[in-house]
Amino acid sequence: MKFFDSRHYFNYSWEQVSIANWKKYPNEVSTHVIAVDVLRREVDPKSGVLRTERLITCKQSIPKWLLALVGGQEVSYVREVSEVDPKARTVVMRSTNMTMNNLLLVFETCTYSPDPENPATKTVFDQEAQITAFASWKRICNKIEDWTVERFGQNAIKGKAGFEGVLQKVANSDVFARESVSLS
Amino acid sequence: MNSFAPECTKAKKEYDNCFNNWYSEKFLKGESMENECADLWHEYEDCVKAALAKKGVGKMIDEARKQAPFENGGKLVEEDEKKK
Repeated sequence: MKFFDSRHYFNYSWEQVSIANWKKYPNEVSTHVIAVDVLRREVDPKSGVLRTERLITCKQSIPKWLLALVGGQEVSYVREVSEVDPKARTVVMRSTNMTMNNLLLVFETCTYSPDPENPATKTVFDQEAQITAFASWKRICNKIEDWTVERFGQNAIKGKAGFEGVLQKVANSDVFARESVSLS
Repeated sequence: MNSFAPECTKAKKEYDNCFNNWYSEKFLKGESMENECADLWHEYEDCVKAALAKKGVGKMIDEARKQAPFENGGKLVEEDEKKK
């Protein structure tokens, strides 16, 4: 098993980030995400937490040697469950791949929360993933895991770059932007 | 964003618009606990459910739900058991 983690700061309020998070796709950088569907969505009457289950459809270019091993599936599916707590100002998203998971299992947790030092204007993004390959040879496992860690890092950069563009659009049109401008 | 089933994309976009409005204008401000887009949601949900069955994706979602239940916020079941 291998781990990936990264932290990134967005120069937008948590409210803006959480609004933009629902509009993250499509963006011109993350072209591997081709569809996003909502499967279930509920507000917990006790806690006030909004819980959402989504199906994310990806089309990823896979190395030839790995494709040969896998059997050449073009489209892959990811399931994500997210929780938005508007009182605590947190978004937690947990996701896992549902295709090729006999070969490779990725379990990812992402969190958006206000930056403790600048809670009104900055948001911390934490991303963690555990990556496990199940092929029987240790060396192949390592290779698959390394490739996945590398790809994960590349997509994480793409995700953030693409998201910045979406954030800008939301900030330009959104009530929270106007409020924070008038406060500052 | 498109739906994985092209026939559901129109219903999806209408629902998304309604949800995004509700989310930013009401939910985040603590003004509404009710998701107000129920009619649009049911139309979209019916379409997606039919498409999931048709494309054979439903079974893998059921499996994922067993491993990381929705009610549990998508946390892995084993992860929880380790903590106990």
